[in-house]
Amino acid sequence: MNAIWLVILPILGAFLLPLVYRQNTRVGTWIGPFILGLSLILAFGLWGDIAANGVQTILMGGFPAPVGIVFYVDHLALLFVIMLVLGTLVLWLGKEKGNIQEETLLLLIVAGGSGLVLSGDLFNIYVFYEIVAVASYGLAASRGSYAASLRFLILGALGSSLLLLGIALIYAITGTLNLAHLATHPEILQGTVGLTAFALILIGLGVKAELFPVNTWVPEVYTTASARISALLGGLISKMALLVILRLLVLLYDTSAAHLLLLTLGVLGVITGELAAMRATHLRQVLAYSSIGQLGLVAIAFSIPGPAGIIAGIALALHHALVKPALFMLTKAWGKQLSHLAGASQSLLTTILFLVLALSLIGIPPLPGFWAKFLLLKGALATNIAAYQMVITVVLIATVIETIYFMRIVRVMFNTKPPPIKAPALQELVPALVFVTLLFISVLNLGTIGKSLEIVATSAADKSIYMNFLPL
Amino acid sequence: MEETAGIYFFSYSGALGLILLGVFAMVTSRHIIRIILGLMLLEAGVNLFLIIIGYRANAIAPIIVEGQNAAMVDPIPQALVLTAIVIGVAVQALALALVIKTYKAYGTLDTKELAQRIAEESGTHVIDGIPTEEKQV
Repeated sequence: MNAIWLVILPILGAFLLPLVYRQNTRVGTWIGPFILGLSLILAFGLWGDIAANGVQTILMGGFPAPVGIVFYVDHLALLFVIMLVLGTLVLWLGKEKGNIQEETLLLLIVAGGSGLVLSGDLFNIYVFYEIVAVASYGLAASRGSYAASLRFLILGALGSSLLLLGIALIYAITGTLNLAHLATHPEILQGTVGLTAFALILIGLGVKAELFPVNTWVPEVYTTASARISALLGGLISKMALLVILRLLVLLYDTSAAHLLLLTLGVLGVITGELAAMRATHLRQVLAYSSIGQLGLVAIAFSIPGPAGIIAGIALALHHALVKPALFMLTKAWGKQLSHLAGASQSLLTTILFLVLALSLIGIPPLPGFWAKFLLLKGALATNIAAYQMVITVVLIATVIETIYFMRIVRVMFNTKPPPIKAPALQELVPALVFVTLLFISVLNLGTIGKSLEIVATSAADKSIYMNFLPL
Repeated sequence: MEETAGIYFFSYSGALGLILLGVFAMVTSRHIIRIILGLMLLEAGVNLFLIIIGYRANAIAPIIVEGQNAAMVDPIPQALVLTAIVIGVAVQALALALVIKTYKAYGTLDTKELAQRIAEESGTHVIDGIPTEEKQV
């Protein structure tokens, strides 16, 4: 099987879905899960294939590499595709069914996200990024929150234009758009123009990755959109953009200037996100700001040169992709002011879920969050560069702040003076339960996961593997 | 040579001017229609920039004809610009559709006011981007 189907299947599904719904609603509701399940099986099959035969490249239309457009399929890209497809599939398990527009856009965003991480060509990255962007504007507006979506669109369109400008600059000084081809002569991009291009691309991709200066849409959209959409955008889609940034760093910008730029944005994201989360009074907003902080941590990890940073980044990204969607799904019943949560501890299951997720996000051992943050600290310490070692302070302070705001919420939940709020129905908790189950499974297999992550990261950090297919 | 240098100078400064003007309009305006106009200027600037990258003086269109080997302009940026224009128009159409919906729902197109209204709907007040305690009315 060919990895191109990971993009084609969801697109096909997206366009078939409304037609099938018109004929038969019952069949229609099964199209989405069916397509995603098929993609998931395909992705796992490819994983084994790559483990056996090495990375795959797909040449569109059979044109050889620097001229033709390529898909580059390695374990890192597949890992993120699996994360996206599996996450979307779990989010599908919720109570809401039969919303045709939303389900179409969900499939479209999965197609765009898969294309984004698999693509080995800068302009293709732009096109897939726009597919993801347009689908997410639609999803943000799907509950009638047009104003938040419009403000999101304006920022997103500004970012996309700057991304295109950055890509145009790279093409102007190198004359190629193929990532592997660019990686053969990274020194061309080390000048001022090349770094300007990187900064522009960083701002462009940063809109989805919730990087520091361009994340003002996050709290607005996550409070107004439905829980499922907030979970998808914050937990899964943001990681796809970060992966593209990582690829660019490894292949084209393996210099301290570019790394420090990403590090600065990450640190600013962590500080502003966590401080804002502490002041927020709405549960969804707390989660939104905390998601900005967590993605800042991932950005810090990716900015650490070498495989250690990549391992930490992947671990943080995977952990956040499990925990944040689950937390957002819990807010479906509670998504209100924090003061409304008084007495929420009446429903035991929900409280336990919330506690486990919050503790893992803070990083309490033995939950995986601790392990991910530990890897980040270890990677930062091993660099012997002052800037990274100072970052350790930021990470630890951020952890303290996270503890403060999550424990404040828990305190309110156990406060039983006012009449207790209605307990959420069990069916609503299914996605969160699945995520927590996955979390516990990962706790039990930390050793195996750690080893395979190390293999993934070392092969991703090795430029020569990526450039192998070039017929030069 | 003098002549071609002049062409490059004019077109690059034109593209740069459009981009800066667009970003300036998007960042400083509060009315959403003005912001979208700024977005259009920005996109036009970026597209013009891409076209100039591929431009070569006295070159022909990039179509291979037997027995002709004159210099050709670079076809890749042209293909990119075609795609970028289509995407740009689609995003602008989506933006205008959302503008209509937003105006019907809120009766205003001022971004600051809209941000305030969004915050009020969720029960918080945002002052200069910082959420504050719920106002007791």
